[in-house]
Amino acid sequence: METTTSFAQHIEPEWLARLQRRDVAAFEHVYRRFERAAWNLALRLSGRADVAQEVLHDAMLKAFERAGQYRGDAPFWAWLRKLVVNEWLMRLRRERMQLFEVFTDSLADDDSAAPWTMADSATLDRALNRLPDTARAVLWLYHVEGYTHVEIAGQFGRSVSFSKSQLARGTRRLRELLQLQSNMEDAPCTIGSTGNA
Amino acid sequence: MHDRLDRQRMNEDAALAAALRALPAADPPDGGWQRLAARIAHARRRRTWLRVALPAALAAGVVLAAWLPQLHRAPVSVHALTQRAAPHPAPAPDVAALRAHSQRLQDWVRTLARDGAPLDDAALADAVALQDRIGLIDLQLSATHDPAASAALWQQRNALLQRLGLLRLQPSTVAMQTRGARKGTMLL
Repeated sequence: METTTSFAQHIEPEWLARLQRRDVAAFEHVYRRFERAAWNLALRLSGRADVAQEVLHDAMLKAFERAGQYRGDAPFWAWLRKLVVNEWLMRLRRERMQLFEVFTDSLADDDSAAPWTMADSATLDRALNRLPDTARAVLWLYHVEGYTHVEIAGQFGRSVSFSKSQLARGTRRLRELLQLQSNMEDAPCTIGSTGNA
Repeated sequence: MHDRLDRQRMNEDAALAAALRALPAADPPDGGWQRLAARIAHARRRRTWLRVALPAALAAGVVLAAWLPQLHRAPVSVHALTQRAAPHPAPAPDVAALRAHSQRLQDWVRTLARDGAPLDDAALADAVALQDRIGLIDLQLSATHDPAASAALWQQRNALLQRLGLLRLQPSTVAMQTRGARKGTMLL
């Protein structure tokens, strides 16, 4: 899986060593380096700016607290990115007590042209935010962050089938939302009537 | 037929990935670092305060423990004795109350975690282990529909949250251990 994430940035060993000694100046350096990437990931996962802000700060504080546990098995950015995803998942679990939305629709094939090839970014952005949280997160982690299904399953504590199913159904729901939006351009409020599964 | 559908799906996946990656990145809100730095500074001040308040609370607890037996020796009415002798059925588990209590505990732990200073390595390992166990219980809770099993899980969850909160209240934080060494840093 190709990695296109904006997280993929090298951090110099001396900064990392200072961060692991809990040097606040090093923490500020790391924060500023990764703030934009972490903010955008948190925003895409949660779909809400206020939640993204809390996820960003909580994940960064955990990075500061746990930097000593980073062993260098994976790039630092991947470790930090995992903290952001974990923080969002913990928040989702806290708020809902029921972590994963259940799709009730079937998985039928759709031969029509993929509407995301024609949608502008604002339309795609709106449709993406209409998806159930878990499906949106799986779509984003898979297509943009370059996670594999195995990695997504591990992060969510679920099976690979769960990840594949969320991706397929999320893609299908995104297609429906974009098609609906395209058909009802004069009455965009009807999109809201589809709701989440 | 299947080959054609597979190819179509792969092309669509690639197109969707490209479309998602092409979405413009958002700028984070201004002043993010300043807010985070203020939060750390506040947490460290709070820890310092707790270093004073915690021994006082412990002392109060000792006094209370000494006083409680006196309370139990107070005269008991005949009515109270009759009431005590009557057999009571075991109370049904109140899942809603346990869940509400869990939410309160969670808010409390969250406040402590947000406002608290970083934990030292040993406490951090304990906290992570407790959080993992809570996460496991959450998964079990999402799968069970039996009220008795649910109640037992909520009770376990609440006990773990209490332990997590008490861990956060321990005075052995990094901030306190290193407070003296860090007085000259830009933040503190």
